[in-house]
Amino acid sequence: MAAAVALRVVGRRLGLGLGLGRTSRRALWGGHSKKEEKEVEDSIIPQEKKEPSLICPPPRSRKYVPPENIQSILEARVKEICGPSLAGNWLQTSLKDNRLKYQLLAQLAAELGHAVPNSQLHLMCSAQDVLTFYSTPVKDMSKFDELCAAELPPNLKIAWER
Amino acid sequence: MTGRGTASRFLTAVLHNGVGRYVRQLQRLQVVFSPAAPDARGARQFVEEEAVDFARRHPDVVVYVRPCDCPAPVLQAEYLNGTVREELIASKTSEEIVQLAAKLASQSGLDIVRIRKPFHTANPSVQGQWHPLTNKPSALTVHGPRTAPQ
Repeated sequence: MAAAVALRVVGRRLGLGLGLGRTSRRALWGGHSKKEEKEVEDSIIPQEKKEPSLICPPPRSRKYVPPENIQSILEARVKEICGPSLAGNWLQTSLKDNRLKYQLLAQLAAELGHAVPNSQLHLMCSAQDVLTFYSTPVKDMSKFDELCAAELPPNLKIAWER
Repeated sequence: MTGRGTASRFLTAVLHNGVGRYVRQLQRLQVVFSPAAPDARGARQFVEEEAVDFARRHPDVVVYVRPCDCPAPVLQAEYLNGTVREELIASKTSEEIVQLAAKLASQSGLDIVRIRKPFHTANPSVQGQWHPLTNKPSALTVHGPRTAPQ
């Protein structure tokens, strides 16, 4: 009982101490940041009229165009990761070993800038699957945008949507 | 209704089109459809896939694509003689719309009514229309020069 009470008291003290510490830190930071903000504001105010307000940057483009030498790149990576112990046809290298699979897919994603989505990870069972995945191009334009951007004959007029 | 009760016309071409050069009578085609309605699916597919090919095959027709908030998708054809024909393309497939557009492109703007005769000519007879006295001795018709009174 007494021990529990003592513990509670200690806890409260610690909490208070921490809280106090935190509040004091916050006040310090708040004070500092205010001062900093004022200084920064003074320098920013003459520039603010030129700079636009913060606009959300556009989402990352999912576009992917397979490079021409994708097969050689893939072969090189597979040989690097699997080591010299390869079957005759490197395309049939099984990716059952998770470490192997992770290393290969992570390296390819970093290199080519195009990652295998989570929903298709279970489909990557062999190097052949990985090759087919990285050989398919991905475009992120809607059909309408594509149509408008493509070269239309002079007698076809498309009205933009309001 | 009988033939007498409904409108009819004779077979004719607009301004003797085809005697000299042939001029396509379809002036412009407007594809009016809604970008979200379910019955405009064929129209949207047509615009995405076939409209460019159609415009290339018919360079003398202007094709306007208008996605707007309309109750039903419509193909509007305007002809050189001023006729405007509106064809409903709701719940039609892309191929059907292509066929419809080709049909409209091959039509002239004349009314679609009963044609009295399936032929028409400006020169019905070259050697002269037959009449009962053709090929008969001319004594029947010709009165000789008048002889002087005796």
